[in-house]
Amino acid sequence: MTLDEINNQLASLVNCGDPTFANAAQYVAQAAQAAQSGQLSSQELAETLKDIQRQMEIIQDMNQLQFKEVLNTAINGLLILAGAL
Amino acid sequence: MKKIIALISVLMLNGCAVYDAVTMTKYDPNEYLLITEIKVDATDYADQCDDVNKSKLNAMVLSHKTIMFAAYSENLPSNGDGIKAARALNEIAQGLKERYKSGDKVSPLFCKLKFEGIEHSADLIQHVLGNRPR
Repeated sequence: MTLDEINNQLASLVNCGDPTFANAAQYVAQAAQAAQSGQLSSQELAETLKDIQRQMEIIQDMNQLQFKEVLNTAINGLLILAGAL
Repeated sequence: MKKIIALISVLMLNGCAVYDAVTMTKYDPNEYLLITEIKVDATDYADQCDDVNKSKLNAMVLSHKTIMFAAYSENLPSNGDGIKAARALNEIAQGLKERYKSGDKVSPLFCKLKFEGIEHSADLIQHVLGNRPR
């Protein structure tokens, strides 16, 4: 994969409409730009990109947890409703 | 009639999802305090990245807190997603500490990106932990 192809993919993600992916793609593009201008070393860029993967994992885990919280609230609500009637 | 509808609604949900939701870890004020400290510290530290010595110390302090958070979450029952998120957050913090420890030059931008990444992740985790059932 060439650098141009990677940049095109990032650009399509920035405009994909999902704010999570759009922000991540923008962040990757900015980090790559910073590395090209010498503000980040190649090791720092690699670690920064790994951090983005870790942050995506956290988003996924927290989405799962949030789903369980909503379900827990709904079940408790239904149980209260069932018990009260 | 309404009682039957409510009961059927619960029974129609996926069994595993219902079990996970009912047995999930409840709100824990200690866990919430730890993640709040991590978030607030990371916010403060991101603005101090131009000072290398201060940032090195900040990275050590924050890495200790994320280790503490991961260790605290580790043995809370029915907390699989929380444990995974705490581990990932700790890995982000350890990366910065290791970079300072290695003796390699750490750029202010890298330091800032690290602390901002920790801050954003901690903010998300804090929001979800705060919504845990009481």
